[in-house]
Amino acid sequence: MSTRHDGHGHGEAPGEFQIATKVSEFEILELAVRELAIEKGLFSAEDHRKFAEWADGIGPHGGSKLVAKAWVDPEFKQRLLADGTKACLEVGIDWLQPTGSGTPSDYTFFYVLENTPKLHNVIVCTLCSCYPRPVLGMSPDWYRTPNYRRRMVRRPREVLAEFGLHLPEDVELRVHDSNQKSRFMVMPMRPEGTEGWSEKQLAEIVTRDTMIGVALPAPNRKSDTKTETLVSGGRRR
Amino acid sequence: MTAKRKFNIGDRVSVVDKTTLFHHRTQKFTRGQSGVVTEYRPEWVIPEDEAFDPAGNGRKEPFYIVRFKQDDLWPDYTGHHIDTLETEFSESWLEPATSKGKR
Repeated sequence: MSTRHDGHGHGEAPGEFQIATKVSEFEILELAVRELAIEKGLFSAEDHRKFAEWADGIGPHGGSKLVAKAWVDPEFKQRLLADGTKACLEVGIDWLQPTGSGTPSDYTFFYVLENTPKLHNVIVCTLCSCYPRPVLGMSPDWYRTPNYRRRMVRRPREVLAEFGLHLPEDVELRVHDSNQKSRFMVMPMRPEGTEGWSEKQLAEIVTRDTMIGVALPAPNRKSDTKTETLVSGGRRR
Repeated sequence: MTAKRKFNIGDRVSVVDKTTLFHHRTQKFTRGQSGVVTEYRPEWVIPEDEAFDPAGNGRKEPFYIVRFKQDDLWPDYTGHHIDTLETEFSESWLEPATSKGKR
């Protein structure tokens, strides 16, 4: 099989349909549960398609908008800090979507953590992978690794240093372990050198990592460095 | 939301160090540790019941965010004394702080 050109693997003609070679047990389980749920009438196949479309469409841009708007509009910032879930509606994010009652793991209790010159916040979920998906999209692979989860609570300054973030000794580092139904996002401080910028320009530098709390925004920083993640077995993601 | 809360913001509390057969979300590293209540969180079904009845008919309790000093949680903490950690508990996992923290 490895050397014969029989139409599989690298020998495939361009445009030929690619077939997944392996389906994981979890994928089979998901399929089985989904089919049962549809048969039982809990949701329809069309609902499922809509959920999948929603999941494909979310990303950190919602969070970026929230922060940029808060930076230019002090009154919005107060509303955002007072009731994060409600303030999200002002930038078009409804935590009750796509089902009308929220997604099974996102709930509707969203809190924004404000960084100050004396306080830096960072989020982690030690028990699983809780993450504010409606505003930040799907979590990065490294966020879900046991290494990040156990080390961020125990040795947070070392982990931040590995991300290239060194905080001064007089800045309190506060780790938020989202172990229950609250979901958190960090509101970083607006960096110097962005005076007079539009909300849209500002949103570009509020990247995912700055809202998790493992990086700080800067005028010339518009994307997070891609970090290779070693998962169990040494497989690279 | 009407039940009277047992703890107030600013109260010093300890996390109960107990075993349970049920699903819970109380991290081992917080058991027996003391911290300060910083936020109220809404009353909702406790994980112990929710795991068996996702329809939301289980027992409800008020929840609280508690702030710990990292130095208290980890005897060999490598950061600075001002560092803190916040996480959340249902009311039955908390009790008024014992004078001596348990390691």
